[in-house]
Amino acid sequence: MLINKPFFQFGLVVLTVLALPFFLRSGIMASEILIYGMVVAASNLLLGYTGLLSFGQGIFFGTGSYLAGIVLTRTGVPVGLMLPMAAVLGTVIATLVGGLSIRRQGVYFVMLTLAFSQLFYFLAYTFSDLTGGDNGLLDVPRPMLNGEQLVDPWSYYAYVGVCFVLVFAAMLLVTQSTFGRTLIAVRENEERAAAIGFPVRVFKIAAFAISGAVTAFAGALHAMLIGVAPLSSIEYHTSEIILVMTIIGGSSSLYASVLGASFYLLMADTLSSIWPRWLLLLGLVLVVVALFLQKGLWGLVEKIYALLTHNRIPPEVEPSDLGTDTTAKGE
Amino acid sequence: MTQTASTTDALVTKGLGVSYNKFVALADVDLNIRENSVHSIIGPNGAGKTTLFHALTGRVRPSSGKITLGGRDITNLSDNERVRRGIARSFQVTSLFPDLSVHENLRLAAQGRTPWQALAMWRRAESNHEAMATVDEMLARLSLTRVATRAAGELAHGQQRRLEVGMAMAARPRVILMDEPTSGMGIDDIETMKDLIQGLASDHTVLFIEHNMGIVMNISDTVTVLRLGRKLVEGPPAMVRDDPEVKKAYLGNMITGDIA
Ligand SMILES: Nc1ncnc2c1ncn2[C@@H]1O[C@H](COP(=O)(O)OP(=O)(O)OP(=O)(O)O)[C@@H](O)[C@H]1O
Ligand SMILES: [Mg+2]
Repeated sequence: MLINKPFFQFGLVVLTVLALPFFLRSGIMASEILIYGMVVAASNLLLGYTGLLSFGQGIFFGTGSYLAGIVLTRTGVPVGLMLPMAAVLGTVIATLVGGLSIRRQGVYFVMLTLAFSQLFYFLAYTFSDLTGGDNGLLDVPRPMLNGEQLVDPWSYYAYVGVCFVLVFAAMLLVTQSTFGRTLIAVRENEERAAAIGFPVRVFKIAAFAISGAVTAFAGALHAMLIGVAPLSSIEYHTSEIILVMTIIGGSSSLYASVLGASFYLLMADTLSSIWPRWLLLLGLVLVVVALFLQKGLWGLVEKIYALLTHNRIPPEVEPSDLGTDTTAKGE
Repeated sequence: MTQTASTTDALVTKGLGVSYNKFVALADVDLNIRENSVHSIIGPNGAGKTTLFHALTGRVRPSSGKITLGGRDITNLSDNERVRRGIARSFQVTSLFPDLSVHENLRLAAQGRTPWQALAMWRRAESNHEAMATVDEMLARLSLTRVATRAAGELAHGQQRRLEVGMAMAARPRVILMDEPTSGMGIDDIETMKDLIQGLASDHTVLFIEHNMGIVMNISDTVTVLRLGRKLVEGPPAMVRDDPEVKKAYLGNMITGDIA
């Protein structure tokens, strides 16, 4: 399908960055959408591409957030160096968490990621000298550009926008590579993937590593956006939100994740201002998605696109063609 | 029957045994699979044939015994390491990537021989020309070229079974293991499969499990009969067919046609 082709997806990504300022009044909100777009895409790499439901994404997000807080408030390291550091630390921790969790399968795998999520929350809470405990780390500065700090939300939005486009391009490349195609094979039939020679565990850990790198990178951007590295970044609740966004968006393409993140954040923003019990509505949305829209919002887009272009899986073998194929007999 | 079968052994097992918890599914199996021979494994349902394949491919850990491939001990190697050493298999119950195209199924199988290359996150899948050439060759050999772009799960049963065998062939293994390649096939498909298996012996060592005695007796160099996890008889087809023990083992389950 054309809309799932990498160049089209990349076009959508660029378009999103350019269009958000025209539709949203808050630069903070727009930046948050891009940041979560990356985070959810990273979660999608695990869920949609590899078939791994990770409840541990908040760990990596919090890791990036704390790294930004610690490095930017206590050392003179510039943002340009801090961001790669966040990605590296995210890789290391995700390799650890992923490597241990994938030793079990199915429900036990999910439970392990959940357990790690709790563990890291308590670690952050306990080591308050490093993390600020309940208060988090305050006064995380925004990056400097040409000697000026990006205080204005929309100028920081531009900064995040560039990061977003670059990260997305890299992730699209990864999903198109032999590596990405192998991940899909693992999701489709893990037993067969192992039987044809792939060390499945290594591929799963590598998927975690990339996911962790992107998530931590985005976590660092988020800390600079809100000026705080809060304890809530590493809470189990963050992992949950990331998963909810991933599922709402759908997992048949990477851009689905941007859709999921935007939908969630915009809905939360609009609803919470008119009704304090808005989470109830979110619950309803999830029920609807789980019951009727299992491919998420992107699945809906795919359906609409197919209707518009009459692109209903074209039969590639004509019935007459089958008749001449001796193997089709006896079925 | 193949005349090319040499006298060296490709795959050897000594005292091979597999237990599932306390249940002994395979015990004390000694096998010598000659290089480039066609060797079939037969036996009643539950005899341990598939279990033997699991042990040979590293899917299950043997509880006793030793496996050597080309003289080298592979008993403790993982399943994917054994593929790199030259063992590939097809499954009794078709196991494909159903949503992926036939072409992609074979490409993955061809790539599986050099899996570390596939960790390259920047390299396009199609840049592995060797694998791409293998895919085209397999498609032609399996007469699947016309359905190359179809999802594997949409194929007719006979085509799926051929693709299943193709997944093993695409690894260009030294020893190819096929678990009931003809199961559930119609007459015409069986004949095609028989020719395919026979043709494999020119550049592979072929080990296959089969219930169709027509094929077994027709194309095997050696037949091994398993019963209750143990080797009952072994020898050339004519000898095995006439063995009274074998006839007893198959009682009520006569060795004619498709028993599955
Ligand atoms: N994972 C398992 N756990 C426990 N028992 C098993 C397992 N797999 C197979 N068995 C048992 O081991 C015995 C041998 O099974 P196996 O599948 O090897 O037989 P087979 O010779 O391939 O039979 P068939 O002709 O029906 O395919 C059977 O009794 C079976 O029930
Ligand atoms: Mg079997």
